[in-house]
Amino acid sequence: MQVTEAFKHAFLKQMLLGFQASAVSTKSMGFQERKNAIKLSADVAMAVARGSRKWTRGLIAGLSEERQNRSFLRLILGEQYESLLKPCHSSWKIPRCKKIVRRSLRICWRKQKKNQSGVLARTLVEKRTQELKRLVPGGKSMDGSSLLDETLDYVLSLRAQVDLMQSLLTTFEASKLRSHSKRRLPERKASYVSK
Amino acid sequence: MSSRRSRISEEEITELISKLQSLLPETRRRGASRASAAKVLKETCNYIKSLHREVDDLSDRLSELMATMDVDSAQAEIVRSLFRS
Repeated sequence: MQVTEAFKHAFLKQMLLGFQASAVSTKSMGFQERKNAIKLSADVAMAVARGSRKWTRGLIAGLSEERQNRSFLRLILGEQYESLLKPCHSSWKIPRCKKIVRRSLRICWRKQKKNQSGVLARTLVEKRTQELKRLVPGGKSMDGSSLLDETLDYVLSLRAQVDLMQSLLTTFEASKLRSHSKRRLPERKASYVSK
Repeated sequence: MSSRRSRISEEEITELISKLQSLLPETRRRGASRASAAKVLKETCNYIKSLHREVDDLSDRLSELMATMDVDSAQAEIVRSLFRS
């Protein structure tokens, strides 16, 4: 299971926009400020590349909770920003959600576990589910099977985010090496191996 | 609505759990047999946390690297990667 090529393209394109918008290549930017801008760009890129899902909406909503992010988000996302922030139709279910979640989880997990039995196992599953809800963006308002579905999707996207950031790093490092060697040997024709 | 929701097919859940399991690094390495739902959920939580840490670490390294890069070459590199893949 992997993300699509379209995702990878969209991610890189969005990263580029993010870098431009936050002017990360400005020399005057401090390390922490630049790091935050990069991380923000990466998260937005991941959400935009994936499209509309519960977790992507949750991610953008979570990011815009911090005031300093909002102008960046508005700049990057444009019109999409407002529509991405619109609450899901499912928000009306939230007051009842806990009961429904607990009931549906009890039914599903009870049937699921053939080897395990008892309160301990069921409590463990519920505990893990609560932790998962905290880790997956927008997880608080997700019920049993949609939580699992969104988790699957989120993990795949996170993996791709890591891979793409790693390949960006590698690419930049290689480009830096090339420009250094160019500067050091100006009179010779450059004959380096391109990666 | 609520009765429909609580009768989520147990097959669906089993399938989702097993798909999650196939994503986990440990499973890929050892080709483990079916683990319990609780174990898969726990490993998934750990995996997500480690992926978050990796993103944070990569952001650090990119920040360090980009401090001494010029604007044009950074952007050119990204555009080049877009065409490469």
